[in-house]
Amino acid sequence: MTAVAEAKITKRVLPPPVTGQEFVLVGVIAVVWAALAVSTPAFMTAGSIQPLLVATAPIALVGVGMTIVIITGGIDVSVGGAIMVCSVLTAKALVGSEVGLGVAALLSVLAGGLLGLVNGVLIAYGRVHAIIITFGTANLFMFLGLRIFGSGTVNGIPGTLAFFGRGPDGRTLGVPHAFLITLIITAAAWWYLRHTAGGRHFFAIGGDAQAARLAGVRVQRRTLLAYVVTGLLVGLASCFVIAQGTSTLDQSVGSGKELAVIAAVVIGGTSIMGGRGSVLGTLLGALLVQSVASGVTQLGWRSQLSDLFVGVFIIVAVGADLLRARARRNR
Amino acid sequence: MSRAVRILLTQRIALLALLIVVVVVTFFINDAGGYLTAPYDFDYMSASLISAVPLAMLGLAELLVILSGRGGIDLSVGAVVSLAGMVFGFTYGEWGWPLWPAILATAGFGALCGAVNGFLVSYIGFPALIATLATFYAYKSLAIVINDQQPISTKPIQELFSLSKSVELPLFGRYVPDVPLGIFTFLLPTVVAVWLLLARTTYGRRLYAIGTNDVAARWAGLPVKDTRFKAYVYAGLISGLVAVVTVGQFASARPDAGVSGNGMALPAITIAVLGGVAITGGIGRVAGVVLATLLIVWLNAGILLAFVGNEGSQYQLLALGAVLVFAALLNGLTNRRYGGTTS
Repeated sequence: MTAVAEAKITKRVLPPPVTGQEFVLVGVIAVVWAALAVSTPAFMTAGSIQPLLVATAPIALVGVGMTIVIITGGIDVSVGGAIMVCSVLTAKALVGSEVGLGVAALLSVLAGGLLGLVNGVLIAYGRVHAIIITFGTANLFMFLGLRIFGSGTVNGIPGTLAFFGRGPDGRTLGVPHAFLITLIITAAAWWYLRHTAGGRHFFAIGGDAQAARLAGVRVQRRTLLAYVVTGLLVGLASCFVIAQGTSTLDQSVGSGKELAVIAAVVIGGTSIMGGRGSVLGTLLGALLVQSVASGVTQLGWRSQLSDLFVGVFIIVAVGADLLRARARRNR
Repeated sequence: MSRAVRILLTQRIALLALLIVVVVVTFFINDAGGYLTAPYDFDYMSASLISAVPLAMLGLAELLVILSGRGGIDLSVGAVVSLAGMVFGFTYGEWGWPLWPAILATAGFGALCGAVNGFLVSYIGFPALIATLATFYAYKSLAIVINDQQPISTKPIQELFSLSKSVELPLFGRYVPDVPLGIFTFLLPTVVAVWLLLARTTYGRRLYAIGTNDVAARWAGLPVKDTRFKAYVYAGLISGLVAVVTVGQFASARPDAGVSGNGMALPAITIAVLGGVAITGGIGRVAGVVLATLLIVWLNAGILLAFVGNEGSQYQLLALGAVLVFAALLNGLTNRRYGGTTS
C-alpha cells in the first residue's frame, strides 16, 4: 500500500475540517457582536467581553462531552444534576478543609467522572435508551446534591478557585483562564474526533451501532467512555461555576444547565440523530447563546427575553441543517 | 410461579398494581407502628390525589406524543402550562371573561402552542427533542415577559381555589373519603377522552400504526403527517387544561408555574415511561399512565410523612429516579428474555 493511496482514502473518509454550519455561526456571531457594538458602546470593551467568555466556558466545556455523547446517538440530561453534585462537594471541601486549587479541581473532576461512569454503565450495559436512564439519574444526582447541601446554602467559599474566575487572578494577557482551558480541550477533542481511529468510532456508533459492532468497534466500551468523558468535563466545569459565583453556593446551581448545553450543541450543528457533529460548532453555539444573553441585559431588556432568542436560534440553526440535508439528498 | 413472574415482567399494568399495593401496605404498617409524622390513611391518600391531576394529565399528553413515534417527545409542556396560564390569568382574571369562555380560550391557546410543535416536527421534519426544546425556551420566555414577571392574582382567580377543595361524593359519599374536586372536573374527563381517542377511534389506531412503523403506515395510505401533527395539538390542548388547574391550585397565574424547579415536563415524561410507554413509539396505554401516577403520588405522599422538614422532598427525588431507572432496566431485561412488554 503506497502513501498516496492512503492519503486518498483519508481524503474521502474525512468531512471538511470546518463545516458550513460553523461558517454560518461565525457570521451570525459577527452580526450579533456588530449590532451590539453599535447600539451599546460598552459592549466592545474588555470589561464586557471577558465576563462573556468566562460565562461561556462551563457550557462549552460540558458541551464538548455532550457533543461526543450525541454523536454516538445518545443524550445526557443529567448534567445539570451532576454539576450540582460536583460543585457542592467541591465547595464543601474548600470551606471545610481549605484544600488547594489542584486538589479541589481533581476532587471535582473525579466526582464528575464517577457520576458519568454510573450513566455510562447503565446505558451501555443495561441497553436502555439514554434519555430514560439520564432522566432517572438526573433525579438521583439532584437527591445526592441536595443531601450534601444539607439545609440551605454553602457559605464563605474561599477564593482558592479564583484562577478560573472572572477577577484579575483569572486572566493571562487579558484572556480568562476558564475560556483558554475550554479552547484547548475543544481543540484536543476536535483533533481526537477527526484524526484518530478511536474518535471515528464514536461517529460509526452513531451512524449504525450494529454495523459498527460488526466492523470491530467495541460499541459498549466506547459508549461508556463518552459518558465518562462528559462526567469528567462536568467536574471541571463545576470548578468554573464555583469560581464565577460569589462566596455563596445555593441549591439552584446547575438547574436547567442540561438544556442550555443541549441547545449549544444543536445550534452548533450536531445532529441529534447521531453520527454527525463537531465540537467546534458547540463552542460557537455556546458563545452565540451567551453573547445574546449578555446583549439582552446590556440593552436593558428583560434578561428572560434571551431565552426567546435561544429558541429561535435552535429552530433556525437546525432548520438550516435540515434544508442542507435535503439538498444533499436531492443532488 | 414462573408464569406469575412472567406476567409481572411482561404486563406493566400488573407490575404497577403490585407496586402500588406494596407501597400502600408499607406505609400502612409504618403508620400503625407510629413511625410517620401524621396518619397515612384513606383520607390522606384521597387528599393527596390533588397532585395527581396535573401529573396524570401531562403524562397522558406525553403518552400521545411519544406514541406517535420517530423519537416523539414534548419538552415544552411545562412552558405551555406557564404561558397558557398567563392567558387564563388575562382573560379570566383581568379582562373579566366568564369562566367557560376563558377555559376554552386557554385550552385553545394550548392547542395552538402544540400546533407549532406539531408543525415543526411533522411537516418540517425537526427531531421532536429539538423542536420542543426550542419552543420550551420560547414559551417560557414569553410567559415571563408578557406580564413583566408579575403573577396575576385578582379576585376571580383567587376564588378559583375551590377547584382543589375536597368534596363528598353523592349517594355513598359518607362511606368513602372526600375526593378533590379537580379529579372530577378535569382529570377523569381527560382520562376518558384520551382512552376513547386511543382505543375507540380510527385516529387512535392510526396513531399506534404510525408510531410502530411510519413507513409501513404511509404505504398503507395513512395520513402520517396529519396524524402526528394532531398528537402534538392534543398534547398542547391538555397542557392548556392543566394551566387552568394549576392557576386554581396556586390561586394565582404564575409566569413560572410550569417551569420552576425541575419543571413539569420531566416528571410527566417519567410518568409516561414508568407507565410502560415505549420511547420508540407505538406502545403504551392510558391505564399504565394512570397507575404510574397513582404509584408516584402515593409514594411521594408517604415519603413526605416519613421524613421531617424538607428531607422528604429530597427523598422524593431519590424515589422517582430509582423507580424510573429500575423500570427502564426491567424493560431492557424483558425485551431480551420475553421479546418485550405488551403494554
